[in-house]
Amino acid sequence: MDDRMELYLAVAARSFRRATTYRSAYLAGIITNAFFGALVCFVYQALYAGGGRVAGLSLNDAISYAWTTQSLISIGGAWIVSAGISQSIRSGDVITDLSRPWSFYLYWLSRSFGERAFNLLVRGALTYLVGVLYFGARLPAPADLLAFLPAIILAMQVSFAFSFMVNLTAFWLLDSTGVTLLSNVMLTFLSGFILPVAFFPPALQALVHALPFESITGLPTQIFLGQLAPAQIARALATQAAWAAALTALGLAMQAAAMRKVVVQGG
Amino acid sequence: MIQLYLTLIGARVRSQMQYRVSFWLELLGFLLVTGLEFATIAILLGRFGSVGGWGLAEVALLYGLTSFAFSLAEMVGRGFDSPFERMMVMGAFDGVLARPLGAFFQVLTADFQLRRLGRTAQAALVLAYAFSQIPIVWTPDRLLLLPVTVLSGFLIYLALIVIGATFCFWTTTTPEVINVFTFGGEQMASYPLSIYQEWLRAVFLFLIPVGFSNYPAALYLLGRADPHGLPAWSAWLAPLAAAVFFGAALRFWRFGVSTYASTGS
Repeated sequence: MDDRMELYLAVAARSFRRATTYRSAYLAGIITNAFFGALVCFVYQALYAGGGRVAGLSLNDAISYAWTTQSLISIGGAWIVSAGISQSIRSGDVITDLSRPWSFYLYWLSRSFGERAFNLLVRGALTYLVGVLYFGARLPAPADLLAFLPAIILAMQVSFAFSFMVNLTAFWLLDSTGVTLLSNVMLTFLSGFILPVAFFPPALQALVHALPFESITGLPTQIFLGQLAPAQIARALATQAAWAAALTALGLAMQAAAMRKVVVQGG
Repeated sequence: MIQLYLTLIGARVRSQMQYRVSFWLELLGFLLVTGLEFATIAILLGRFGSVGGWGLAEVALLYGLTSFAFSLAEMVGRGFDSPFERMMVMGAFDGVLARPLGAFFQVLTADFQLRRLGRTAQAALVLAYAFSQIPIVWTPDRLLLLPVTVLSGFLIYLALIVIGATFCFWTTTTPEVINVFTFGGEQMASYPLSIYQEWLRAVFLFLIPVGFSNYPAALYLLGRADPHGLPAWSAWLAPLAAAVFFGAALRFWRFGVSTYASTGS
């Protein structure tokens, strides 16, 4: 780790501010997320026509879940949110970033955290508000919000470490769009973004619990909605922390391997 | 014109094949991504049994029809996605206007994504599953309705892509809007139209006619009645709806081109 905390904070702050300037982009983003949230709700309303609970979830649980995951898209909850690393590898700009006197990993992590903090506080919150106003999505209890804070920070760490690794494959493959696509498939489906994991068949649930993706979306969502007991929350946070550490270590190892064989394109 | 189209598209396909590993991974990726769309439906119906009175095999018919049409539109129409957005951001659209060919034609030929066959293959598999589960009596009119519906759906989705892209003339960069129209339409059409509220049904039949990509045709093929009184013979109106909608999209596009203000220097 580096002791240039101030520097990374400045990078994050700039990234946060940059995100605020694309007003029409994030407005379009909110409309998109809300549109899909609404579509999912219409389907749930038809599916729950008979009332009751399915897999332990009521209609309101399912609707609140859908709006929470829609709100987490812009922080990487559904698919990899481009951080620009793979473009910089393709263009050759990466060599400039690598030769700067700071940690390459922490530089991109700070950039990503700055942007995602904005996305969570503005894009995510406004999207969820639409769900609350028009579909009765549940407002979280203060205690759940408190537990959500560390959960979402850990989720962003896991999400960043994973996308960092996917981006770094560009060093070997030159074009990482194929890998990105496959990673997005896993992320969308196995994170609990598209459906609550409780709806999955048992074998698929076991697979989801064994993989890191649930730490990005499913676990923070369940904490946000108060669907976990205190002991389960503690276990969820520990799982997230373990995946954050493991994937960060893997990402750094990958970076070290990439440095040994770096071929810079362009000039 | 067709000769020129094929020449330009051939060049696109050859250039994509240069990254061979990526090409196959992406084709496989599209098969999987879209396979998961159907898996999602299957998981939900496994839990809930049916939606609006439609079982899994019947919803598979709906999904397969619309996804097949969508895959063809994505293969043909992706020039209006990122290549067009790049032209707008870089100011390269100026060059397009200066060439002795229509802007629509040039943007259309800016990309051709053969890898989208991954979705086509997946849709065909889902349709095969649906037909194996549902005893449809294959009369000549029903056989004819299949390609008519798929081609109409293709035109409707292509029109949606063009409409989404046209917004770029005012916003410069908004590929997300295309997603609302295309993926939103596709996701909406994956479930029976009858489950939506009246105003939404009207929107998806008469304003953005994605509903015509599958729902009336499914009623016709299954011999089902719509609970809200939509007649099954309306399936034959799909080409008309598609033609009108595509014409409107073209006009909107031309209007967008006429207001174009360059970003370039």
